[in-house]
Amino acid sequence: MITTTSLYDQLLAVFQERDSEQQQDWLKALKKEAFNGFEASGFPTIKNEDWRFTNVAPFLKDPFKLQPANIPLHEHRNYGAIPGLDAHEIILKNGLLNEDVAIAGLKVTPFRTALGQPALQNYLGKTIPLKNNGFAALNTALFQTGVVIEVEKNAIIDKPVRLIHVYNAEEPFFVQPRVLIVANGGSRLEVVETLFVKGNEPVFINTVSEIHVAANARLDHYNLQVGPSNVRIVNFTQVDQSGDSLYNNHTYTLPGISLVRNNLHLELNGSNTESHLYGLYLTGGNQLVDNHSLVNHKMPHCMSNELYKGVLMDESRAVFNGKIFVQQDAQKTNAFQQNNNMLLSDRAVIDTKPQLEIFADDVKCSHGSTIGSFNPEALFYLKTRGIGEIAARNLLVNAFAFDVTSKAEIPAVRNYIDKLITQKMAEAYD
Amino acid sequence: MANSTDILEEYSDKEYEFGFVTDIEMEVAPKGLSEDTIHYISAKKEEPEWLKEWRLKAYHSFLKQPEPHWQNFELPKVDFQDISYYAAPKSKAKYNSLDEVDPELIATFEKLGIPLSEQKLLAGVAVDAVFDSVSVATTFKETLKEHGVIFCSISEAVKEHPELIQKYLGSVVPYSDNIYAALNAAAFSDGSFVYIPKGVRCPMELSTYFRINTQNTGQFERTLIIADEGSYVSYLEGCTAPKRDENQLHAAVVELIAMENAEIKYSTVQNWYPGDKDGNGGIYNFVTKRGVCRGAHAKISWTQVETGSAITWKYPSVILQGDYSSGEFYSVAVTKNKQVADTGTKMFHIGKGTKSRIISKGISAGEGQNSYRGLVHVGAKADNARNFTQCDSLLIGDRCGAHTFPYIEAKNKTATVEHEATTSKIGEDQIFYLNQRGIDTEKAVALIVNGYAREVLNQLPMEFAVEAQKLLSISLEGSVG
Repeated sequence: MITTTSLYDQLLAVFQERDSEQQQDWLKALKKEAFNGFEASGFPTIKNEDWRFTNVAPFLKDPFKLQPANIPLHEHRNYGAIPGLDAHEIILKNGLLNEDVAIAGLKVTPFRTALGQPALQNYLGKTIPLKNNGFAALNTALFQTGVVIEVEKNAIIDKPVRLIHVYNAEEPFFVQPRVLIVANGGSRLEVVETLFVKGNEPVFINTVSEIHVAANARLDHYNLQVGPSNVRIVNFTQVDQSGDSLYNNHTYTLPGISLVRNNLHLELNGSNTESHLYGLYLTGGNQLVDNHSLVNHKMPHCMSNELYKGVLMDESRAVFNGKIFVQQDAQKTNAFQQNNNMLLSDRAVIDTKPQLEIFADDVKCSHGSTIGSFNPEALFYLKTRGIGEIAARNLLVNAFAFDVTSKAEIPAVRNYIDKLITQKMAEAYD
Repeated sequence: MANSTDILEEYSDKEYEFGFVTDIEMEVAPKGLSEDTIHYISAKKEEPEWLKEWRLKAYHSFLKQPEPHWQNFELPKVDFQDISYYAAPKSKAKYNSLDEVDPELIATFEKLGIPLSEQKLLAGVAVDAVFDSVSVATTFKETLKEHGVIFCSISEAVKEHPELIQKYLGSVVPYSDNIYAALNAAAFSDGSFVYIPKGVRCPMELSTYFRINTQNTGQFERTLIIADEGSYVSYLEGCTAPKRDENQLHAAVVELIAMENAEIKYSTVQNWYPGDKDGNGGIYNFVTKRGVCRGAHAKISWTQVETGSAITWKYPSVILQGDYSSGEFYSVAVTKNKQVADTGTKMFHIGKGTKSRIISKGISAGEGQNSYRGLVHVGAKADNARNFTQCDSLLIGDRCGAHTFPYIEAKNKTATVEHEATTSKIGEDQIFYLNQRGIDTEKAVALIVNGYAREVLNQLPMEFAVEAQKLLSISLEGSVG
């Protein structure tokens, strides 16, 4: 247990203060349980198997404040727009939704309001593990702000919804944003999460997203992790899928944010579900990008497919850990997992661990993992065609990433990522 | 496949074939481990002072180490004080010919299909048979002597080649490595020692059969093999144990050292008593095996066929220190009833141009749990290191499990590492195809499993391959998923 004493004391004080204000019993109980969970495990250390390669201690040393000073975020509305993306926008400032959003077919509610609604009990904190899961437990115990997005039954949302997280980093700030998405039966939604940070002081974003995809619903979830190096993100996404649902996750991490830890947990609670997890991490500088995923097959006839690709530059480190559980009842499961990595620098380090745990026999499961670099023959071929070394390398990296980026079904997102890859690669050679 | 469950049941009910107890008077140390026990063992074996000191250091390290908790099974509580750490057949163990050996002992080996006398003639295999803890007979010593090969028990080597033992013992697996290695170092009773001199190709396969006897006697074997520059040796290790109702701990340590251009091939067929179908009894096989390629172009190859033991827990590893050295790991692990196998390998790429290859085939039946756990580590200086890993699991029955935990770490951009794994049940279409060629389901399964494991079985020396194949087909008789 890390005792960043001042931070820990602050957390405890804030919890006690908020606990006494808490009105609803169920919420109070949940938060109490969560805080106990956090107190028992503390912030994870490298002795914890799931955090073996990711030491968060140096990222927690700054004198963080838990309540941001109310400095107005600049009024510029275009918080890092994605060119050509026509989308509904939901803006969370320091995790807070402070203006009404009206989107046909969607019910967008700030958490403060939503907490008064009894229906929330059915979803909030229902499946998130609070033991040995320090960060998510801490968020559950302390979160106040965030957004609840509910898609009405059978509603097909015409345009993607861009969920913009805007943070004010004018002083060190530790924030616990929370997102809850409920896609009701037969609905369809595309969510694109982006990040915008103002200021240069360290910000630690400990976010938890809970996603419930009901029968016959489809949710496409894009997460664009592009930001400056004063940002640290620990992200826990819990997805609960009912039968006959489809969930697609696309996570892109690019050079910048100094610590990214993504935990993506999928619980497949019904038959005939389909899930795709696509990830791309292009890392540079001293960045540490850690992707942990868990797909839990509990029912028969489900299909999951995971493809994560990484390109590592400079002194960056990346960690991949993919777990697939196939429980005894989950016969006829098809589960695939692949992680490919390119090391472009001698100082970059990759730790990958694709993991399968299978308790059913009538299944098809496979995983693969590779580590390599540029294929010298491909480079040579391109050079013989008059393409310069740098251009050729960019071409090869773009081609390597194509398997992941091409899966994005929103053209604007795809183009944006492609462009960023080229740009970041070019910067690396400057 | 209407009868598949019957066959499965029949198979899971199958009694352990090699379960019997040889009644030989034993000299057994009092139960428990303490400094006194170590003094007792050391004195019994007339060991030099430095070895006793080493044992004591290991013992203190053992006391300090916690039991591991990262494994993928529930570690049964082992009462280290309830084990007797030394057992030797009372009839003293230095025979000049086989006729002098206790006939009951010979009979035991014969039941196991290891006729010492016959093997001398037929197989051309020199057998250093370890009956519990003391080497009883070492055959073919003369032939080996001509080539300068040293093949003897560790205790003999301590007396006759102390300089080698002192230099290499614990140099690959230090006693501080893990709690079982520490336990072994503190209390090891005997084991095998092999030294192949420079440029010598060992004229025959060397082989040791281990056997656990005497109730409540954990066996702490230690094997040390040194292949000097340009030499070659193939070493075979096989295990069978009599039936027991109480769990027994087997914590062996194997150390391999390959110098420049040397090659060591180490093959294991492990068939300790796996416990009954309810998971009572059986051996805990917690073994630390590690080899080091000291010089350039050295090669170490591990091959294992694991069908026995209640719990098999081992990771034969290779430290690829010399440039262009290579390591191989081939494994077939079968678990049935309530057996657990948590096995795999570690490949440490340190030198330039080092290569490693890992082929692991797991077969789970009944309620067996099979885990592959492996580490491929490419250090910053291991330019152009190359690894290929394949681990496949075959599932038979809906109550078994197959798990994979591969750790892959690369710190060098010129490294090429590949890992692939698949899990599936026996293909119904394959069985159907064989059925329609007139091959019944039981044979079809045997055929498919044998084909599945072939890549590994092919690595075994001839004599062993036959035994392994037999074991495999007995183990999986008719278990159709």
